[in-house]
Amino acid sequence: MFEFLFKYSRQEFARSELVFTAEWPPWMLAILAVVAAGGITYILVRRFRTASIPQLLVVWVLQLAMVAVVLVVLLQPALKTEQLKPGENTIALVVDKSESMAYGDSTSRFDRAIAALGDVMSGDTTGVTAQRYTLSGSESRTESFADETPDGAVTSIANSLVGIIDGARAQSLAAVILASDGIDTTGGLSAEELAEIAAFGVPVHTIGIGRDRVPEDLELAQVIAPQRALPDSTVATRVAIRHDREGEARVRVYDGDNLLATEAVTLLANATTTTARIEIDLRDAGYHQLQFSVDGIDTEPELRNNERSVLVRVEQQQFNVLYFEGEPRWEYKFLRRALDPEGDIRLATLLRVSPNKFYRQGLESADELEEGFPATRDELFAYDALIIGSVEAASLTSEQLEIVREFVSERGGSLLMLAGPNGLGNGGWGQSAIADLLPARLPSSGVDTFARVKSNVRLTIQGADAEMLRLAETPAQNVEAWRQLPEIADYQALGSLKPAAVSLLDVVTDSGSQPLLVTQPFGRGHVYILATGGTWRWQMSMPLEDQSHETFWKQFMRALVSSAPEGVSLAADAGHGESGIRLRAEFRDDAFRPMDDISVSAVISHEDGESFTVALPPSPDAAGVFIADVSLGASGSWFFEAIAERNGEVAHVARASAYSESGQSEYFNLRRNAALLRRLSDATGGRYFEPEDMSELPDLLRYSSVGITEQILRPVWDAPIVFVFLLSLKFGEWLLRRRWRTI
Amino acid sequence: MPDFARKLLVTGCIAVAGAAGLAFAQGDFRTVTVDEREEPGEFQFVRLAYSGNRYAQAGYRGEAWRTDWPEAEHHFLKGINRLTTVDAADQGRVLIPLDSNIYDYPWIYAVEVGYWYLNVQEAARLRDYLLRGGFLMVDDFHGTFEWAAFKASMDRVFPDRPIVDIPEDDEAFHVLYDLDQRIQIPSRMYIYSGVTYERDGYTPYWRGIYDDEGRLMVAINHNMDIGDAWEHADWPDYPENMTALAYRFGVNYLIYAMTH
Repeated sequence: MFEFLFKYSRQEFARSELVFTAEWPPWMLAILAVVAAGGITYILVRRFRTASIPQLLVVWVLQLAMVAVVLVVLLQPALKTEQLKPGENTIALVVDKSESMAYGDSTSRFDRAIAALGDVMSGDTTGVTAQRYTLSGSESRTESFADETPDGAVTSIANSLVGIIDGARAQSLAAVILASDGIDTTGGLSAEELAEIAAFGVPVHTIGIGRDRVPEDLELAQVIAPQRALPDSTVATRVAIRHDREGEARVRVYDGDNLLATEAVTLLANATTTTARIEIDLRDAGYHQLQFSVDGIDTEPELRNNERSVLVRVEQQQFNVLYFEGEPRWEYKFLRRALDPEGDIRLATLLRVSPNKFYRQGLESADELEEGFPATRDELFAYDALIIGSVEAASLTSEQLEIVREFVSERGGSLLMLAGPNGLGNGGWGQSAIADLLPARLPSSGVDTFARVKSNVRLTIQGADAEMLRLAETPAQNVEAWRQLPEIADYQALGSLKPAAVSLLDVVTDSGSQPLLVTQPFGRGHVYILATGGTWRWQMSMPLEDQSHETFWKQFMRALVSSAPEGVSLAADAGHGESGIRLRAEFRDDAFRPMDDISVSAVISHEDGESFTVALPPSPDAAGVFIADVSLGASGSWFFEAIAERNGEVAHVARASAYSESGQSEYFNLRRNAALLRRLSDATGGRYFEPEDMSELPDLLRYSSVGITEQILRPVWDAPIVFVFLLSLKFGEWLLRRRWRTI
Repeated sequence: MPDFARKLLVTGCIAVAGAAGLAFAQGDFRTVTVDEREEPGEFQFVRLAYSGNRYAQAGYRGEAWRTDWPEAEHHFLKGINRLTTVDAADQGRVLIPLDSNIYDYPWIYAVEVGYWYLNVQEAARLRDYLLRGGFLMVDDFHGTFEWAAFKASMDRVFPDRPIVDIPEDDEAFHVLYDLDQRIQIPSRMYIYSGVTYERDGYTPYWRGIYDDEGRLMVAINHNMDIGDAWEHADWPDYPENMTALAYRFGVNYLIYAMTH
């Protein structure tokens, strides 16, 4: 109807500009309008006596409207449309030919993509020349899609599109049409990549091929495991399973042929990804390639995405903890006993046994802590964690307090404050120079907040998730294990928690629960408060064979030291592009000041012996940090050595390792990523289409403003609506006059 | 009522009243251990109220563990608070071996252990207590006879652990004070007799029992009377240097127990 009345479609009006083509000067139009209005008014005034004033006014308005329409017609309105100039423009038809496009139900995604592009070109795309491309890791020109097969091992949409658009610009590229499942194996489209594509000014229209949900497939989407572990330690790993239906899955972990763990996972109905925590015991030192696999279901189209591998380096490490205590007490004794003296955590203690004497234990050398609490950064920063017990803040100088602050904020060490008659609020720590580090606003020292009253401890919701507080295998058993613990000997009130603080344990007192173990990050490190000096009762009150007390302190100490970064470190972070690794080396001196007088290179070796060297340039964002993205060719275990040289001599070496699954990424992420394609189209001024509904695409192509275009003027003065309107006005006036009997 | 009968009745009443008073006093004594919500200090001196062996019935009415009580711990606790940073309760406690509260006090003191008797159940409790991390200091027993009586019960506690001399370089002798001199600390009888030993205990021995990690669990002070030296710290005639030395041994044992 619209097109019948207005001569053209709504879309034509939307994409066009309304212009007047008559070359009449404006003043002539104005005179004509005034004369017409004057004439009509004069005639009607003369008929003043034959009709009432309201009737005359209505007739006056109708006649003026008719005159106005006639004047508009005289101006010759027309639609000005810009469209591609026939024979001058090209469009790029791009098909994703990566291996993920080989999937499909009866027809593969690849064939559906070709068919969809064929549908587009079968529309009215007169005068536009099509150039055909395929896309995987990079772009490739092709004469016929029929000659292609979906065999690309990777998909890099950004890289390929930039290549296509850049190469076709000379041929006046009007648009790109990409038919793809949107699965980009290089990590998706970053904002920078989108901006780079959009900067060409060429609209990218996308056609989403495939299904958003694949219920018949389970996929081991991610495995998170530490790159390093201690011998005879239990490593906590986390797996993410992608799924589109609820049910049960079973994850198995192998070290070579040895089955290390099996975990049943319930796949949630209202989620597309379910995560599970799997603990693995690693015994021997060396490299362990851990294979994770989720059992497939009967109808799975792809079983290769049910497996992933990670490489864990098991080696002995030595951590150092300094414990500064102001009074002999049982917590001190039993904390020391809980830690294995031959273990990986060395507890050096400085205990004030009398007003004039400190007693040192756990020393590495006779001069360690000989002068008391460390007075220099070098001395304190040699430790990974610091425990301050029942001792007054005033026992440290302002310089020492400042070093403690730097220990946490710059060194990244962990600080644990214990309760005691001279600790926390009683010790004046709430008003000390490091009060802002603490996760609680401690009461002033004038209030005795320490109570030697036996009390029960409860896990908080956050504490139940904390691995360091795991005393039993399952979460439910763990909650019960904590509930069964004997009362602690004492507790101390903390005051309100700070916004970033989290309470992991609560103590149940006569006046209700209050935080017992709280933590918050500060700078590069973490600060904890354990508001009791009475966990020793767990050891004395429970059977000799019970290890709860030892387990708590070992795991707590492990958490304290493991979060403290090393001065010299190298991280190999997978997931930066297909088979890409980001190497991040950090070099700091003994005082943890960034080294800026070194040059760093990395020797990269494959398990088969292949080796090459890359330079690690300094990061512009952080001093002492050197970063490089490295593309690894083959699958398998890769070993990295970052070598820092000063004046031509090796100053430091940092090591890391990783397992690369090159060529495997196309088997993962089988689900269509329509969101990525929409983002791409939105950013470039294009449109996203479903293959079933592309009717508007030909017009979008024809009337593109990009490329070589021409203007077309199409008159609309002769549209039927104009004459209908004129007749309606005149007919209306006639009807009214008859009714008023003024004719 | 005949005069004889009246005297008998009065004597009987006095005897009953006396026995009742004694029983009441003992009962009150042991109720010191009644649970109190707020503990008075980090360190509480606990005296082990053991059962006496058959020889204890004669000299101590079966309560040899009461020797020097309560002055010994009263003085010693003052010394701890004065000389160390240990937060010590002003008053001591008395616990029997089978009292479950014993696990709340990881340091206990037993005196006149030549007259103690630990049955199998009590020995097992003490063994469990020590292996969990408790510490026992025994004192004031002399000569071969009392040693044998002490060891008879101690062997029930640790049948498989030897009693050894504490080496000179053990931290127990250096943790706060360097106790290099081995001087026999006498009982108060020294004031009258001038003799430092009792019975055939001419030579003092500092012995101990260690756990598997080489930590001292039981400090055995044989042929000396540290408890008397604490008790008579305020007696002008008792040698001040002996009291000072006894304090130092006690303090070192305590600091050792709280650090190892």
